[in-house]
Amino acid sequence: MLITTTNVVEGRPVQEYLGVINAQSIIGANIFKDIFAGLRDVFGGRSKTYERVLEQAKEDALRELAEKAQALGANGVIGVDLDFETIGSGGSMLMVIATGTAVRI
Amino acid sequence: MRNYFGTYTASRQADPITASVLVFDQSISIGYRDESGTNHTARWEMSQLTAQFEASSGSSLLRNTSSGEELRITGPEAATLVKEMQEEIAKPWYRKKSASHKGRVFLFFAGLMLVLALLYFLFVPMLSEKVADTVEPETERQLGDAVWESMAQSMTEDTSASRLLNDFFSTMNIESSYRIRISVVKDNVVNAFALPGGRIVVYSALLDRMQSYPELAALLSHEFTHVNNRHATKSIFRRLGSKVFISLLFGKMGSVTSVLVNHADDLKSLTYSRKLEKEADLEGLSILTNRNIDPKGFTDLFRHLKAATSGSALPEFLASHPDIDNRLAYIKEMSKQARVEPHADLTAIFEQLKKP
Repeated sequence: MLITTTNVVEGRPVQEYLGVINAQSIIGANIFKDIFAGLRDVFGGRSKTYERVLEQAKEDALRELAEKAQALGANGVIGVDLDFETIGSGGSMLMVIATGTAVRI
Repeated sequence: MRNYFGTYTASRQADPITASVLVFDQSISIGYRDESGTNHTARWEMSQLTAQFEASSGSSLLRNTSSGEELRITGPEAATLVKEMQEEIAKPWYRKKSASHKGRVFLFFAGLMLVLALLYFLFVPMLSEKVADTVEPETERQLGDAVWESMAQSMTEDTSASRLLNDFFSTMNIESSYRIRISVVKDNVVNAFALPGGRIVVYSALLDRMQSYPELAALLSHEFTHVNNRHATKSIFRRLGSKVFISLLFGKMGSVTSVLVNHADDLKSLTYSRKLEKEADLEGLSILTNRNIDPKGFTDLFRHLKAATSGSALPEFLASHPDIDNRLAYIKEMSKQARVEPHADLTAIFEQLKKP
């Protein structure tokens, strides 16, 4: 399985396009993480707590994308795009959407 | 998650097929297309596969022990990865990589909770009392008078009894920076209370039940201690401090939490008032013993209170006053060596009060 943000794969032409697929992961940082991130906002510096949540959400979305591609018989996903959004009241939750084209190369 | 390309073999006789491989924490997923063009995905749990690097072919060989299927992935990396994952799964929970992180997080939260608890139970009350100490007696008096005036509208005062009680109190000759003003209110509640700044309110039903002057002396010295030690003012400031702290902490919480939080707060200030009641009992008792007034006045007084509350007595934990049997016990203990002398002047005032 190959997952890439480019539209073509060097040296391996696309043999078959299997359609656009997407996967999303919506994740809530818990209230304590919000408190710590709030403190970090006051004192300055990188917020590792939020960074870990973001990383986890991205990981989950890509994993789901790969599983969907595999179910379609694809061995690659090209042109992958990752969108990050905050949702929920007061932007308390984080959403990551991964979109790409499932292909056989 | 890691992704690879590999060759998948369903059995020893079958031809190898190219496959896409996803390696997760607990399992691997294999996707392939068979000769007829149908797509398949297979999932192998980490526990059911063996992984090794074959130097001869230069590839990692993963074998499903239950079905005999095989998967080859070029290079040693896949075999190493699968072995690492299997070792991680085999570890007891407290040695897993995720456990050390969770342990740190848990310790951090426990520490935070401890700090908040210390702040709430020790620092905030202490600070509130410090603030309460800076309040001028004159301000306390104004506060107490304002409360009394709003209450007095719905109450009828027995002015002659009030005058006698004020006489009684001044005859007891207790020194204080507060000007004590006692009001008797006609009501069938058996109770009395002190307002900040020197106002003491006694209900007539309690007076009616009294049999001797030491009881009245006990009641007044108890309420006087509340005034003199600024109990009401301290309580108000402690409550205020707790409220401010809680609303800072849970400011954005919904109404359900705020109800819970407020009730917990009420319970805490009740225990505070229990402590103050005991202080008022003990200091009131020493006022009596210093003047050689019979400390039995306290025990008799509590008996009246007990008779009045019997049937509906709350458990001590929820009652703002210490349980009366408890109070009787520690008063009895404290008053063992008391010397008692008759007081003609106090007796005279008391008798005048009891006249129909």
